[in-house]
Amino acid sequence: VSDVIDTESDIQIPDAPARRSRRGRLYHGETRVDFMGRKWWGIGASMALILVTIISLLTQGLNLGLDFEGGVQWEVPSAHITDAQARAVLTANGVNAADAKIVTVSASGVKRLRIQTPAQTTAVRQKVSEDLAKSAQVSVNEISTNSVTAAWGTEITKKAVRALVVFIILVALFIAWRFEWAMALSAITAMLHDVLISVGIYSLLQLEVTPATVIAFLTILGFSLYDTIVVFDKVDENTARFAGARLPYDDVINVSMNQVLMRSLNTSLAAVLPVLSLLVVGAGILGAISLREFALALFVGLITGSYSSIFIASPLLAWLKGRTPKYRSLRAPRAIGIDLERLVMGGSPAARREAQRLRSAAHTGDTATAVLAPATPEVVLSHPPRPRKKKRR
Amino acid sequence: MRRKLIYSLVGIIILAVGLLTINLAAGYKPALGLDLRGGISVTLRPVPGQAYDKSSLDLAVGRIRERVDSFGVGEPEILRQDNAIVVNLPGVNDQKQALDLVNVTGKVYLRPVLACAAPPSATPVTSIVSTATTTSGTATTTVGSSAVVTLPTTTGAGVAPGSTPTTGSPGPSRRVNSVPPTTPPAASTTAATTGSSADTSTTTAGSGGATSTSVGLPFSDPNATQILPTRDGGRCQVGPSGGTGEVFVRDSAIPRIIGGGWGVTVDLKTGSSGEGVWNVLAKECFNGTTTCPSKQLAIELDGEIQSAPSVNAEQFTGSVQITGSFTKAQATKLAQVMNSGALPITLQAEAVQTVSATLGKDSLRAALIAGAIGIALVLLFMFLYYRRLALVVLIGLGVSGALIYSLTSFISRFYNGVLSLAGVAGLIVSIGVTIDSYVVFFERLKDEIRAGRSLRNSAQRGFKAAFHTILVADSVSLIGAAVLWYLSVGAVRGFAFYLGLSTMVDVFVAYFFTRPAVLLLARSKYMSGRKIMGMETAIDGAVQPLGATS
Repeated sequence: VSDVIDTESDIQIPDAPARRSRRGRLYHGETRVDFMGRKWWGIGASMALILVTIISLLTQGLNLGLDFEGGVQWEVPSAHITDAQARAVLTANGVNAADAKIVTVSASGVKRLRIQTPAQTTAVRQKVSEDLAKSAQVSVNEISTNSVTAAWGTEITKKAVRALVVFIILVALFIAWRFEWAMALSAITAMLHDVLISVGIYSLLQLEVTPATVIAFLTILGFSLYDTIVVFDKVDENTARFAGARLPYDDVINVSMNQVLMRSLNTSLAAVLPVLSLLVVGAGILGAISLREFALALFVGLITGSYSSIFIASPLLAWLKGRTPKYRSLRAPRAIGIDLERLVMGGSPAARREAQRLRSAAHTGDTATAVLAPATPEVVLSHPPRPRKKKRR
Repeated sequence: MRRKLIYSLVGIIILAVGLLTINLAAGYKPALGLDLRGGISVTLRPVPGQAYDKSSLDLAVGRIRERVDSFGVGEPEILRQDNAIVVNLPGVNDQKQALDLVNVTGKVYLRPVLACAAPPSATPVTSIVSTATTTSGTATTTVGSSAVVTLPTTTGAGVAPGSTPTTGSPGPSRRVNSVPPTTPPAASTTAATTGSSADTSTTTAGSGGATSTSVGLPFSDPNATQILPTRDGGRCQVGPSGGTGEVFVRDSAIPRIIGGGWGVTVDLKTGSSGEGVWNVLAKECFNGTTTCPSKQLAIELDGEIQSAPSVNAEQFTGSVQITGSFTKAQATKLAQVMNSGALPITLQAEAVQTVSATLGKDSLRAALIAGAIGIALVLLFMFLYYRRLALVVLIGLGVSGALIYSLTSFISRFYNGVLSLAGVAGLIVSIGVTIDSYVVFFERLKDEIRAGRSLRNSAQRGFKAAFHTILVADSVSLIGAAVLWYLSVGAVRGFAFYLGLSTMVDVFVAYFFTRPAVLLLARSKYMSGRKIMGMETAIDGAVQPLGATS
């Protein structure tokens, strides 16, 4: 990000105040990144990712776990049991060992054998567990089994899809009521983008989709919306603030993005740190397998969730709003560089002083300065408007 | 103003610490889900293609609970989620046992009673069961050798129902059509023998083919002669089923007061499938033929005799009355059973999951350690970035943590909720959302200070704006959590619950803790005249021009 921030620093504006270092400006929220000017970078990157996702989904599909496909799974501590022994146990119990999928997974430093077969009867399941325990020289209680009918998997999926549809409708209504329809549409598009990319990762790496994964996708969905709402709340506030200044919507978005940039970065970091810890410490070092897939999906989802609020939801909102009658007429070039920074920091004492200087220059007929002065709405909006009085009821 | 803030701040800290102390003192802990401590989870669903309604499922849940309780499984979790029933049995490792335990059919059988034994005096059902698992082998012999088993085939006399009136129990004897029951021949010592042997026996006796099991309640085998328990703890030997609850008209069984006591009336279906079947049975029992020597007709549900009324008419048309010394609750329960029996459901296990206890513990440990490290990293970052203000985050997380822990414990204790791995994950994810509330507020604060306001003023204005944002964003999270909770099954539900809980706690803490804490800090000497987040500010609001050279 820091590379992008300073691209306008070579523009010399007369009497420009001394600026802080790049990091300092980021820290102080005095950034002037022209997000809208670079929107095609973000959209292009997302398009590429989505294309990869779609190709992967079409060619490889998803690696659906036991809970969706139906079948039986055993997990045995494998200190004393080999792949071949496990297959022998299966064959002895009349299970076709050729159909069985046997992998070794490592959990808490203990290697475990994960055996998956198509559905079996209860008696066979119990017998296989006992025999496996015998071969592995462990108590039968050490063996985890999981048996699911295919019908149940379909049922879970149906329920999840139904929940998702209801959720999207309710949230769209809520955002439309609280803000506006364009925002609802943008936020939900960004959310679908995030889920699609997360699903793409699962398809691309052929990770197993389990019920925990579904939960992770739902979380991503929730977080993506949450993050977008926080950003849009700022846009909403700035729309009202710049309403009198007749500022093009692109500028409103740019200003809002810069104002929430630090918050977005901080929140993403704060949200990602525990998940990263879950991924690295929980799943990696301590070896809790059940946490790994969950954490991975979340990790990807949280990052795309923050990214899409700025690079997908906001440009889309700008495009939608820019076409409305109110903003269509405002075709001024986007404020960039120092102008943008002034808008971002609108109302600061420095900005106010600058505005005064410009005004007096124009008044005294100092045409040189007046011409040089950028005709940004910042001149109009030299100080933040007084907060609206509360309505009496 | 200042006083109000202090009240709020002190109030919430006392609340958090108080709740935590109460929980710790009372020993309430969040009940851990199956995936965190091992056990078996079975998900049941009605076999597709049959007509049923929610009340049939609710009844099935009740039946499973009775069975599980009779077996003595600690902290079982049995829930109906839409049209699925989830049974979580912590600490159980035997799959077959678990499946037997939840195998309820909801089928009501009408079986002629051969003989009945009095309820063993004041022996709770559960205690019968716990010994049953170990002594069932010998118990079978006892029952088999006792006279009662052979009784129906040799004599026509039944063992007296309710022959031990000292128990105060009405016994299994009920009357149909409110004609006084005929007193059967008095019980001999055989009854006592059976009574005591029944204490330890849970095995079905009688003809071969009866299921032998170690589970608390025996299985119904409608084609065999069986000894089955009655609801009040007695036992009856019943013959093969002569009909099912489907002879009754759906929802026609109504508990009502008949002749001074509670009873049940129920309508019979017309035609051979209803009245026809019933009247064949009624005739047998009324006449005391060898198939129904006791003149009683048992109404059995899943291996338990709900009622065994004497039949006092040979022919019934339209409806049947069952009277006796019922309490209102007993009559209601019987009516419910008969109604569900008119439309039984067959359940099948859709998913069976066993988690070994060690795997569960490992997952929990990993989640806890990872969570702790994650929180520590987040706090470190907060201190690096927001310096002194991060103190608010530190204490705030403590308050949130105490509240969530206490609420979880309360819910576990009183509403049978459990914390599963998905729930833990939901909580870890919510750390991000909780932190975001602080970040939004502090960034606002920075904006306000930069705009040239005093710290004190900034804190007030900043909170107002930030809280607005927090409310809107958290509402979306809450909508999500609520939708997921209502519409999904299994693990997703647990996740949604804890996401919703932590979101609500987040809003609560933001208003009652973060606001007073920051507002008070902004007035205190701790913050005054200092560089706050790199912003030079002073208490009097004199702001050094930002970034200006002059």
